[in-house]
This record gives sequence, C-alpha cells and structure tokens, in this order.
Amino acid sequence: MSKNKKIVVGLSLAAVAFVIMMFSTMPSAGSKEITIADLSKNGSKYEGDYIMTQGLLNKESVKWDADKLELRFELYEEGQGTLQVFHKGIKPDNFSEDVIVLVEGFIQKDGVFEAEKVQTKCPTKYEGEDMENYDTEMHKEMYKNDKQE
Amino acid sequence: MYLIGNISIYLGIVISLYGIIANIVGVKKKSSKWIESARGAVLSLAFVASIASFLLLYLLGTSQFQYKYVASYTNESLSMAYKLTAFWAGNAGSLLLWAFLLALYATMVVFSKEKKNPMMPYVSSILMVNILFFFTVMALNSNPFEMTDKIPADGKGLNPMLQNPGMILHPVTLYMGYVGLAVPFAFGIAALILKRMDSEWIKLTRRWTLLAWLFLTLGNVIGGWWAYIELGWGGYWAWDPVENASFLPWLTVSAFLHSVMIQERKNMLKTWNVSLIILSFILTLFGTFLVRSGILTSVHAFGDNNLGTYFLVFMAFMMLFSLYIVMTRYGLIKKDSSPIEAYFSKESSFLLNNLILVAAAFAVFWGTMYPLISETFTGTKVNVGAPYFNKVMAPILLVLIVLMGICPLIAWQKAVFEKFMKNMLWPLAMGVATAIILFVFGVNGIYAIIGLSATSFMFGTHLQEFARGISARRKATKENILKAAFKLTVKNQRRYGGYIVHIGIAVIAVGVISSHTYSTEVLKTVDAGDSIKTGDYSLKFNKLTEHTKNGNGIVVADIDVMYKGKDIGKIKPEKIFYETWPEPSTEVAIKTNWSQDLYVVLSSWESKDKVTFMVKVNPFVSWIWMGGIIMVIGTAFALIGGRPTTFRHQINKGISRVGG
Repeated sequence: MSKNKKIVVGLSLAAVAFVIMMFSTMPSAGSKEITIADLSKNGSKYEGDYIMTQGLLNKESVKWDADKLELRFELYEEGQGTLQVFHKGIKPDNFSEDVIVLVEGFIQKDGVFEAEKVQTKCPTKYEGEDMENYDTEMHKEMYKNDKQE
Repeated sequence: MYLIGNISIYLGIVISLYGIIANIVGVKKKSSKWIESARGAVLSLAFVASIASFLLLYLLGTSQFQYKYVASYTNESLSMAYKLTAFWAGNAGSLLLWAFLLALYATMVVFSKEKKNPMMPYVSSILMVNILFFFTVMALNSNPFEMTDKIPADGKGLNPMLQNPGMILHPVTLYMGYVGLAVPFAFGIAALILKRMDSEWIKLTRRWTLLAWLFLTLGNVIGGWWAYIELGWGGYWAWDPVENASFLPWLTVSAFLHSVMIQERKNMLKTWNVSLIILSFILTLFGTFLVRSGILTSVHAFGDNNLGTYFLVFMAFMMLFSLYIVMTRYGLIKKDSSPIEAYFSKESSFLLNNLILVAAAFAVFWGTMYPLISETFTGTKVNVGAPYFNKVMAPILLVLIVLMGICPLIAWQKAVFEKFMKNMLWPLAMGVATAIILFVFGVNGIYAIIGLSATSFMFGTHLQEFARGISARRKATKENILKAAFKLTVKNQRRYGGYIVHIGIAVIAVGVISSHTYSTEVLKTVDAGDSIKTGDYSLKFNKLTEHTKNGNGIVVADIDVMYKGKDIGKIKPEKIFYETWPEPSTEVAIKTNWSQDLYVVLSSWESKDKVTFMVKVNPFVSWIWMGGIIMVIGTAFALIGGRPTTFRHQINKGISRVGG
C-alpha cells in the first residue's frame, strides 16, 4: 500500500471513531445542567430530558421514609424558585441546612423532580469552613452564609 | 520564620531567573564558567526549596496557627502524621511540593555524569523555567507562609475523609509522577533545539520516564483504593474530571515508554516520541489546571479562578514553545528516520499501540471537556457521566488487551505469519477455554465474557513467553523452575519486567470487568434482630451502639455475617461525628477475600433498633489492588535492568566515531 493509501485508511478509521464518540456524547447520553430558576419556570420544556441541577437544601422539608427507602425534600435557589425532589434510595449523610445538593434525574409532569442521583457538595472539600477560598461565581450566588458551629 | 519562608520563595524566583540567563549566556559565549554558575543556581534552588519545605513541615508539626495554611488544614488534636502530611492538603503546600521536587530532580540531572553534555544547559533552563513558574505562583497567589489576621485558638482541622493512609500516599505519588515527566520533556526539547536527531535523550531519560510512570500508576491505583474504602459509594473510579486528569498523562506516557523502544532500536517513530512526551508534560499541567480552576462542575469543587488562570497561561506558553521547536525541526526529524516497512511487524504493532492509547486519551479528554464544549456551542452545559466513558473506553481497552497479547509474539521486521499463528495456538486455546468455562458456569454478560477471555488470552501469551525462556535456561543451566524464572527476569529485566507489568494489568482487568459487571447492591431498612440476605451472604443486624474516641462520637452497627450457612464473623460499619467537622464520615466495613468483597455501609437510622444499610457484594476487587502491586514489581525490575546508559552510550559513540 502506498503512503497515500495508508493516510487515507488511517484518517477514515479516525473519522469513524470520532463519529461514534460524537453519538455517544449526544445530550441524551449526558445530563443537561439547568438552574432551578429555569426549571420552575419552564419545567414542561425539559420533560424527558436527563437533567442535572443543584440548589440549597431546605432542611425542614426533608421527609425520609426508612421502610420504603423514599426521600423527599425541597431545594431552592435564593429568590429564584424552589424544586420538590423525590428520590428512591438512601438519605445522604450531610443533609443539613443550606447544604448544596446536586441532583440528576427527570422532571415529572406534576413538577416534582425524580432524582436518580443525589449528592451533597461540601462547600469546601479539603479545608475547614473557610468560605473565602470557595469556588466559582456560580456557587457564590447560591451559597448563603458561613456556618460557624 | 515568616521572613525565612517568604525570602526563600522570592529567592526562588530570583535564582531561577539568574540560572536561566546564566545558561543562555554560557551557551552563547561557549563559556563553561557561566554554565557552572547556572549549575550552582540549580543547587541553590534545591537548597532554597528545601528550606521552605522543612520550614512548612516545622510549622505544621508545631501547630503554628498564626500561619493561615496551618490553621486551615490542621488542629491541635490531629495526629502528627496527618499534621505533617497536611503539607499537600491545599493549593499553597502542593505548589511548594511541586517546586521542591522539581528543584531536587533538576539538581540530580545537572550534577549527574552527564553534566558536560551539550544538552545540559537547555535541559537545566527548561527545568528552571518550570521552577520559576511555581515560585511565582506561590508569591503572587498561594503563599504557604501567609499569616492570619488574628491567631485562632485552634485550627480548622483536616477533612476526616482525608485522614486515611491513602491521603498520605495518593497526592505525593501523583506529584512525583507529574514532576518526573518534566525531565524527559526537557531532554526531548533540548535535543530538538540542538537539532540532534539521535536517541541519546531517550536513553538518558529512560529511568526517569519509567519512574514517573510508576508513580502515576501508583497514584491512580491508590486513588481508586482510597475512594473505595473511604467514600462509601462502593466503587473505585467514577470518571470524575479530577480522576481523568491523572489518567490522561498515564495513557500518553504508557504510549511513550513503549514507542521509545522502537526509536532506540530501529530509528523510527521519532515524531511520535517527541509529540508524546510534549503531550504528556502538557497534560500534567492541564490536569492541575482543571482541578484547581473550578471550570468544571465536579464533586471535587476545589476552585480558585486565579490559580487556574496562571496554569492556563503557563500551559499555553509551553505548548506554543514546544510546537514551535517541533515544527522548525520537522524536516530534520523526517530526514533522519526510517519509515515503517512491513505492515505485520513489531514496529507496526507499536504504532498501533500508540494510536490506541492516544485514542483512549482523546476519548477521556473529550468526555471531560464536553460540558465546556457543549456550553460554548449550544449554551447548555451537558455533563457526561460514567455511562459515556464506560461505553467508549471498554472497546478501546479491549483492543488494547488483545494487542498486549499479540505483541510479544510478533517478531521484528516482517513477521512470518505461519510462525506467529503457531505461537498463538496455546494462548488462543486458553482464551476460548475461558469463554467456554464461563458459559458453562452460567455466567452471563457477553461483553464481560469477551473481556475476560481476551484477558486470559493475553495472560496466556505472557505465560508462554516465561515458559519458553525458563525452559531454554534450564536446558543450559539445569536450575529448578523458580530459580530459572528469577534468573531469567534478572538477566533480561527490561523485557521480563515489562511482561510482569502486563500480567499485572491482566489481573487488574479481571477485577475491573468482574466488579463492574457482577456487583450487586441491596438497600434495606431492618429492625434489630432481622437479617439482610444477598447472594450467599446473610447479615443479621444485632444492635447499634455509640461511644467516644479521641473526642469524636462513633456510632457502630454490630452485624453477624453468615456465608453459605457458615458463620464468618462480624462486620461493623460506622459513622464518625467529629468535633471540628459539621458532616459525619462514613466508615465502610469490608470483608475481603480473594474472590469478592462484602461491602457494608451504615447509611442512616431511625432509632437504635431501626437502621438502614447498603450492602454490596463486589467480585474480584482485591485483584485490582493485587494487580497494582504486580505492576509495581514489574516496573521495579524494568527500572533496575538495562546496562548503565553511559556505558552503552560510550560504545555507541566509539562505534560512530570509527564508523564515521
């Protein structure tokens, strides 16, 4: 095979692989990151999409049925709206007031978000409660205030 | 002490600048005095970095809370080991660690036997540019010696999830891997700048590369182990951006350390090699940038925008610089290499190896960066999760395993197909037999069966290589099998060390494929006295108790475990409530044996008599850690082996002088 043919074969293999990869990463394969504000206003637009969203936890809203392993709680984005969440599974450890919760799942017709994954995000993972070094703009607007115990 | 710390950082900046300039002047004026002075600068940098590092250790060990870093990551009651290893718990300390390792490595390089090598001033300068960067970032952005406004009574303490032996090892091994790559990178670029197309730079840096790769391997495996025993979700790898950041360079360096063998022996794949080392080096910077800039959402939220920007700029600079060097020398590289002649030869299989590993790296890179790419083009951030990575990586890694199996059987230059087929027979039979046995035992999951059979095949070829070598030795020396095996490996360390590493990978593959496909999980709330049944296990929850230890409150669940009807003891998952930490930590309880892990998490409780558990049965997970150890042993053999490079180099020099 001549050098040109080698290049053509190589490139076409690469192209095929690339296309396969593209299809694997189509939005259906991943989760779209939507804000609570957006979800509460345009919930119906996102029905059927696998969504990821996050918000601050309203501690009083947490209802946990240990026998049925059903967790219900409410997330909010300051001044922007709230989201009712339902999750079949275990309650995460740090479900305390104002903790940032990340959920992935689907928004149902009745507006309740059925979460397949629930994760709490420690404000800072490695340090103590030092909020100055904390994260990006996105979280600064969500994060309320320092919790001094 | 504050003065000493800060002065050492500023000195670091000044001395590295001086060293770079001294090297440039020395080369331009061909003056060995200037070069010697630059060497002295490197030594001073090591000295200065050591002072800063020991100072930080001292501050941490003696709990000097007037320093922000000490107050942020330690507290009085923390054990000494964790007080000291808090060195790399945050940005500033990690940067200092990086600078220290760089200065140390640079000193080892410039004072080595090769100090008069014409490449040395360039190598030294490139390394010092790196050192300069790290000291600069520390001075401008993350100073480990920053003071607090008022001295706190006690520090904030270390996140309990990090109070684990994995925390001591994982960051340090990864850094030793990342920093180690700076040396072959510096040599590669130096060789190109000098328009040297030979393999000397590769021979001189072989051990550096191997060592860096060893640490990357260790870092990744330990990271997975730490996640598994500490984080309580039952897995060891989640394709999180932070994990991917350390996996990417591992992939490209794996390609590099194979590909250089071809350049050494056959003068081929030169462009590949320089490209791979440049890519690997850039990826080490990229990984750090990714993790510390907060541009990607990950549960490892670690962001500080400014720090990320510094890394981005430096990375861009190094990338453009390297690209420029390669482009301007491209013609020369091509002129001096031999093209690959035969399609079916060892050389072409190594080329295929490069392609596959780079494809794997690209797939991981793509998935990791996809949220940003999608946001740029569609406005919505789409997060790609584990399903994408598993779907794309599984076939790529499967092809890699098959290639690993085939490669030892292919001869150099044009391989004879018939001979190759004959050699393939036994291993192929092993692979097929594995598939049949799995079917017969009712194991389902076609992909897992294919994966396991391929692994078995690959194991078979390597076993065969050992068997052949051993029997050839025994014909000559009449040693017993074990002694022959050992001697064989010792006399051909690079080759058989490499084979051992491949076998380690096969062992890991069994663990990964099995645990990924056949893990089971049960979530259940039970009353005291009730049992949870899963697989062949029966777990009877007895009671929940509470006690204090070291000022922390510990809640323990007492569970009796029966396996296939026989009592195998107790398992006690816990939750620990810390004095200085708002969230409790989950202490997973694991019962391991060679074939599976019983993994139990105390999830939550309504009362002392009503508790929710997560029980997982993970097959063959211990094989993953075992395989990691085997890989380390193999790499150790490969490291020690090979004649001293200077010796071989002299021979080559002599030959070329004679040959003309």
